[in-house]
Amino acid sequence: LSALSEHILEEIRNLPARYPQPRSAVMPALDLAQEEIGYLTPEAMSEVASALRLDAGYVQGVASFYTLFHLEPIGKHRFYVCTNLSCMIRGAYQIVDHLKGAIGVTRPDEISTDGLFSYEEVECLGACEYAPMLRLDHSYHYDLTNDAIDQLVAERKSGQVAVAEKPRTRRAPRKKAGA
Amino acid sequence: VPELRGSSGEAPDHLLTRWFGTPGLHTLDVYESKGGYAALRKALFDMAPADITNEVKTSGLRGRGGAGFATGVKWSFINRDAPGPKYVVVNADESEPGTAKDRYILENSPHMVVEGILIAAYAVGANQAWVYIRGEYDEPYRMLTEAIEEARAKGYIGPKPMGKDYPLDIRMYRGHGAYICGEETALLESLEGKRAQPRSRPPFPAVKGAWGRPTLLNNIETLATVPAILNLGGADYARLGTAKNPGTRLLTVSGNVRKPGVYEVEIGKTFRHVIMELAGGPPEGRKVKVFWPGGSSAPVLPESMLDVTCDAEALAAAKSMGGSGGVIVMDDSHCVVEAAHRLLKFYAHESCGKCTPCRIGQDWAVRTYERILANEGSQIELDTLQRVSDGLQNGRALCGLGDSGGWVIDSTMRHFRDEYEDHALRHECNVGKVAISA
Repeated sequence: LSALSEHILEEIRNLPARYPQPRSAVMPALDLAQEEIGYLTPEAMSEVASALRLDAGYVQGVASFYTLFHLEPIGKHRFYVCTNLSCMIRGAYQIVDHLKGAIGVTRPDEISTDGLFSYEEVECLGACEYAPMLRLDHSYHYDLTNDAIDQLVAERKSGQVAVAEKPRTRRAPRKKAGA
Repeated sequence: VPELRGSSGEAPDHLLTRWFGTPGLHTLDVYESKGGYAALRKALFDMAPADITNEVKTSGLRGRGGAGFATGVKWSFINRDAPGPKYVVVNADESEPGTAKDRYILENSPHMVVEGILIAAYAVGANQAWVYIRGEYDEPYRMLTEAIEEARAKGYIGPKPMGKDYPLDIRMYRGHGAYICGEETALLESLEGKRAQPRSRPPFPAVKGAWGRPTLLNNIETLATVPAILNLGGADYARLGTAKNPGTRLLTVSGNVRKPGVYEVEIGKTFRHVIMELAGGPPEGRKVKVFWPGGSSAPVLPESMLDVTCDAEALAAAKSMGGSGGVIVMDDSHCVVEAAHRLLKFYAHESCGKCTPCRIGQDWAVRTYERILANEGSQIELDTLQRVSDGLQNGRALCGLGDSGGWVIDSTMRHFRDEYEDHALRHECNVGKVAISA
């Protein structure tokens, strides 16, 4: 039984043709794998490697370099809280403390018992005029307060908000000129 | 849609942001109704490629990504006549702490970026451009992708852009979380599907860049400025700003100010104007203590140097730099040693591990800061910080990431020696009571 579904593997096999050299497909391929199963297992990375005709160790080497690839399970919803300087001096660490209580974890990468949440502290996310801020799944949230955190958590606990769909690297359908 | 925080609307120094805030500016029709794509038309039909590069040279534009290299000169390094593919690679990996201006441009006016990219590609003889955008930028990615598709549908991107027999294409590539990708050769490694570790130079990207081909690398703000230069003419653009650092640039002002935002200013304005007037100064009852004038990598300046101007020469004279234009302001309620510790944690985390001074040095500095902040410091720790700072700088590391950590240590110790000594020697923090040494 393979870790990745056949249609994802097929999509991965078609990626290299889109780049001047096939190796550039490795990160988009890992994206597809991570999107399908939530995080990158050794099996998934091996399957990506053979679909791209690369060495499995090479693919793991790439995946382990970048923070947006998760090599361990994460919660259904992931908080990426900026604690770099601009956010820090506007209270980011207090936000982290409050968030831990709100989702019921004691440390980064720990998954809440309901499986819904995990968090990590991240470096500058490039939205410093709205500090303190965070990225939740695939969207930014600004001017954070404890109440705002509580609301983000509550909306997801009640199922009002599903995981935001990630913008795909696939090309949008072409519109006809003048349409 | 979050509220716009920063420059928008007509003003003499709003070359890039004058249309920001216009409803629908992110669409091709509205952008074009404001005069957008006139510069591309002019470039394709009224100018030879070499004339475009010369116009950019005349403008005196310097790269807005951090290094501040002369843009037109960089363009002229690409041999247009070399056979085989050439590429434009656009650095949208904005990750310098305290910097949000490329995001601001992409979210407000993505077609301005598309137009700048197409002009640059035509000028240097490339047919394909790749935008490397940081993975966390979901919304800017979506907006730029849509702008590219709109331009493609309109016939501005394709085999015959605007009818000109010169194929132009723009492709997107998403990063996956690594500050080092802002360094141009690390970005190229990443684009090629590798761990993002900087390359030794030479060869320079202009000769051997993306996929081994001649490559022009420019930052988003740099390319977004190009249409304005062609519309105004390089000479008129150069009338703005200072003689050696012409034009306007976008400064992201963050931290302890009342109106944080991305402000477009004529280069040469003082940081007093930027921080105290545009950004409203510190909160009631607080004083500015220190500011980083160009992202966290730019050596800090104390409040007494608020009258330094934001051009490259004045900042160099003040032993700092313009960098990415990220102005981080900290008031007197915060401790400089704690801030420096946080930044060294950042550089240690982001060190790619390829060269020893940076891999070992940043981590060593973090452990030394931890001892000092745990009240376990002494003169030994202060000397260690100074030594590590020296070991990170002056070309000992393969790229600027090493120097950056060293500059944080060096500049905070130079201007705030008292705070360091309070912590390391007297095991106390006197924030709020400390006099600033000049």
